[in-house]
Amino acid sequence: MATALELSSITKSFGDFLALDAAHLSVEYGEVHALLGENGAGKSSLMNVAAGLYSPDSGSIEVAGLRCRFIGPRDSMQHGIGMIHQNFKLVKRFTVSENVLLANPRGSFRNGKTAIEREIKEKAETLGFSLDPARRIDRLSIAEQQRVEIIKALVAGARILILDEPTAVLTEGEAQRLLAMVRDIAEGGAAVILVTHKLRDVKTFAHRVTIMRGGKTLATVDPRQTTAEELTTLMVGSHVVTPSRSAKSAGEVSLNVTGLASATVEGHTPLIDATFSVRSGEIYGIAGVGGNGQTELAEALVGGRQPSAGAISIKAPGSPTPSDITAATPLQRRDHGVASVPADRQALGLATRLSIVDNFAIGFVHEGRFGSMALIDRASMRRATQAAVEDFEVQGVRSLWQRAGTLSGGNAQKLILARELSRAPSIIVAHSPTRGLDVRACAAVHARLVAARDAGAAVVLISEDLDEVLGIADRIGVMTRGRIVAEFDAPADRNAVGRAMVDHV
Amino acid sequence: MLLDAPWWIMSDQDAALSPLAVPRIAGPGSGRWPFGRMILEVRLDMPAWKQVVAVACSILIGMFISAVILVASGVPPGELVNEFASNVFDRQSFQAVLVQAAPLILVGIAASIGFRARFWNLGLEGQMVWGGIAATAVTIYHIGPEGLRLPLMALFAMMAGMAWVAIPALLRMKFAVNEIISTLLLNYVATYCLYDLLYGPWKDPKDAFPHSSLYASAERLPDIGHGVNAALPLALVLVLLVFWFAEFSRFGFYLKFIYANPAMGRLVGVPIIPVVWTAVLMSGALAGLGGFLVPSGIAGRLTQGFFEGYGFSGVLIAFLARNNAVAAAIVAVLIAMLFVTGQSFQIFYQIPFSMVQMIQAIIVMCVAASEFFIRHRIRLQR
Repeated sequence: MATALELSSITKSFGDFLALDAAHLSVEYGEVHALLGENGAGKSSLMNVAAGLYSPDSGSIEVAGLRCRFIGPRDSMQHGIGMIHQNFKLVKRFTVSENVLLANPRGSFRNGKTAIEREIKEKAETLGFSLDPARRIDRLSIAEQQRVEIIKALVAGARILILDEPTAVLTEGEAQRLLAMVRDIAEGGAAVILVTHKLRDVKTFAHRVTIMRGGKTLATVDPRQTTAEELTTLMVGSHVVTPSRSAKSAGEVSLNVTGLASATVEGHTPLIDATFSVRSGEIYGIAGVGGNGQTELAEALVGGRQPSAGAISIKAPGSPTPSDITAATPLQRRDHGVASVPADRQALGLATRLSIVDNFAIGFVHEGRFGSMALIDRASMRRATQAAVEDFEVQGVRSLWQRAGTLSGGNAQKLILARELSRAPSIIVAHSPTRGLDVRACAAVHARLVAARDAGAAVVLISEDLDEVLGIADRIGVMTRGRIVAEFDAPADRNAVGRAMVDHV
Repeated sequence: MLLDAPWWIMSDQDAALSPLAVPRIAGPGSGRWPFGRMILEVRLDMPAWKQVVAVACSILIGMFISAVILVASGVPPGELVNEFASNVFDRQSFQAVLVQAAPLILVGIAASIGFRARFWNLGLEGQMVWGGIAATAVTIYHIGPEGLRLPLMALFAMMAGMAWVAIPALLRMKFAVNEIISTLLLNYVATYCLYDLLYGPWKDPKDAFPHSSLYASAERLPDIGHGVNAALPLALVLVLLVFWFAEFSRFGFYLKFIYANPAMGRLVGVPIIPVVWTAVLMSGALAGLGGFLVPSGIAGRLTQGFFEGYGFSGVLIAFLARNNAVAAAIVAVLIAMLFVTGQSFQIFYQIPFSMVQMIQAIIVMCVAASEFFIRHRIRLQR
């Protein structure tokens, strides 16, 4: 096989931070080459260099044996490199063909459009799916949008395809289909680079894997000849411990959800009839394939959206009667001890343009901490934030007044946990709390949830990651088509839970 | 993600459609130049002093362009410098600037407190008109004892401003009517109500001109010495009050979240509806008070056009001051100089007063352009 892309001794720094430290990568035509590493290991930086988005401080890039220098993404595209970013670069209000045309101008608009539509249809057929070029992007599912991105790159003549964390936004089934398709593309002669931190995807679909840590490329190995433990060790440097399960000491029922339903929203299976209860001192895991009402359930629990039917009641420890919070505002729920860890942490967990102090303190000001109505107390805000940042091991904090948006995914989540959990809440609603996080950050998040449970909180863990639910939940409810269809006590049989997720009609 | 309650709060994307939004270009790009290639990079951060320098430079560029236009329309270059310098060095002009500054400060902080709540109040003039009408009603119907006339006029003006801004606020919160349009159009409604009064029942019986009778001396803002009336200290006190509200009060802290990420703010317990209402009503009250200061402090009666230009200037002041009340006061003084200079150009060189608005617009465009350099860095690569 011929070498498609050769990156040698690539170094790139941002200010004082060394993102890439003499990284090497060699990819051949016909292979799926995985790039594995924790968040912040430098995978995306290295790929942005290959795609012409970053110019390296030193090092060389060779495409098919020819040395190149990329000034911008267009240069890299001309050399047959196409990158599919984690956040799709599509104009939502434009159609599929308009988006493809925008990236690949073809003479006049009118003539170009017919030509491009034909090309799109051909490419889609070769890849084994159908795609209507006249549909608007915002009418497509995430998986379909991703296919548009791939077609866009192929129409541009890409022979080297870079996919940055392509499965992070997909459900289990969609991810499998995507990876199978990517493998077909590679077997058709193209080179595919798969940036990921999912070991399972690497083991099943990659021909070779390069492991990165701290901006360095450590090794390139054959994933089938290497055990998962070896790969993990290379990736994180040391063994990651999973939180140990303590003896169960669940108390009385603390959260009661009955017959919860939500209004229909286009493209989503809404909640139809969700009924379950969670006791204090237990983690209730809600497993299920994404898009079966989990988002609506999380929103109904924290007060983001009013349910159309059903009731939610909570019972604070010590109070004799439960109180109904179905119609309560998020503020009232917080006063009742509800904490929320939303799935979309950048949009709903943090105000990314405000400082770390602001983002921490906002959870407490209405209780009267940090000063009165007339005067907020910035000094005590800063002190409390400092303590919380240390306690929750939020890293990457140069100054407490830096914008929260500068934190990496794992540290952003730790900051959210610091705000939500340091109030000693009685009920915690965590939705996909480890999505997109690396192994170490995952373990930290899990340890925090387990600690909160041990302290007597009722934890609702909604997750599409079955391993996560099986790993830390004390009881598991399976959610399918807006209903809790089955419940299991831990330790649950993986196959039985998996069957409940897909069997139900 | 769709969340049902704060739908009337605009998202960042919607805000980009607002007239105040500054275009943002995401991601690096490149272009070819004869002396190599120009590379555009997004900056992560820029130190505050550099930002100040960038804005100051852009204001200077804007002033230079304005100067060229003024010279082209017949103002001798030497006089141009003299006129602006006299704002500071000539006692009479300086007094005029200070008198002119007070209402401008008020509309500036009125706009900025509304903008902080993502309420794009372009109805400052309408709220001023009603403030002026309410204050004048106090004088016409002799409400309250003479000693309490001025506070009563101020109070009535503020209530009227609040009432007028409550209409678009209610429309937005109940029916998602875009307040950019409703506040702007309600200005015309307010103006025709004013004309109706001035050409009808409130017409001055002495000279039959369409303006109200002169206020009694107890209804005019007292002189605090050097020809400056009480409007200026009042405005400065309000600046401090608004500054405190926005920067140090708990509601001000909430406002930061409503501005930055309302959906997230709501989930962590920001009481959005009361905070937004407070900010919007403050905005209306301050603009209404401005509508009391102009007739009572300058003309001594309600005139047909007392509010003209203030709405645009208020929005502009808030924009240049980045919604900061203290900065708004400083910018308002600069704009007041422009107003006073514009008035003398009008008298001496027959330059239309709309030239003042044009100069304001040029400066705004230059400052908006400076945002581009604050967010991006240009490098040349050979």
